[in-house]
Amino acid sequence: MVLIIGGAYQGKRKFAASRFGIAETALLDGASCRPEEALCAKGIFRYQLLIRQLLHAGTDVLEWTKMLLRQDPDRIILMDEIGCGIIPMTAEERLWRETVGRCGCLLAENASTVIRLFCGIPTVLKGELP
Amino acid sequence: MTTFITGGSKCGKSRLAETILSGFPGTKLYIATMQPDGAEAEKIIARHKQQRAGKGFQTVERYTDLAGLAVPEGCGILLECLGNLCANELFGGSGCPEQTIPAGLEHLRSLAEVLVIVSPEISSGGTDYPPETCHYLRSMGHIHQFAAAMADTVIECVYGIPVVHKGVFPC
Repeated sequence: MVLIIGGAYQGKRKFAASRFGIAETALLDGASCRPEEALCAKGIFRYQLLIRQLLHAGTDVLEWTKMLLRQDPDRIILMDEIGCGIIPMTAEERLWRETVGRCGCLLAENASTVIRLFCGIPTVLKGELP
Repeated sequence: MTTFITGGSKCGKSRLAETILSGFPGTKLYIATMQPDGAEAEKIIARHKQQRAGKGFQTVERYTDLAGLAVPEGCGILLECLGNLCANELFGGSGCPEQTIPAGLEHLRSLAEVLVIVSPEISSGGTDYPPETCHYLRSMGHIHQFAAAMADTVIECVYGIPVVHKGVFPC
């Protein structure tokens, strides 16, 4: 599994398309896809918003993510880093933010390659670029 | 030679930018983009003025429309900062900073011998904001990607420590 992270709007999708040959349109949007669709997708972007969907549905997100990893180990997952900045005011937002952090660690641990995009510039944090 | 410097709040971006231009022998412009609209802004402006006093900069205040700014050929420019410029364009200027700011940066680069661009890193604090703030975040992300692609050197300032993401440290 390849994990591509970075702040919002740093060029993650464009990079996934250019270096991993996955068209931007072939990536499922974590904000709007159904979790069962995500299980069959080759690539998912805005995974942090799929996490929000799963939390709303009362799903154990870490267990669900482990299942996703078992089903297709060759997936590409794109996720925004959201954990910097101010701790949110509401308990719901804090839970989401913390879950995104924990999921990020789980995904990175299981990824063969982790790349961070910064202003469109990739830095390989784990593994190697293809 | 163009350098793009980004990083968190009060982490030494301006100081580094001034250092890069310290040995420049020609005309040096400081393009200030912050509008003096209140006591806090005036305090920040005063602090920056004091920090660059005696370093040979001519200050040019420019809040929008960089592409329309006349600058002498072969000069050194410190542009500070894209965060203010983007807010000015989005909320009080053209309304489309993703077009006007890249055009403005290209304009400055084409004339300046040395261009240093300073901008705040804002993309990793989440996206749970009102729509206009999300629009600002998106615009800033695109502008940062443009600036980084255009620049010879890209530096992230981390509490005064320069982390080079592209190119070679210029000083």
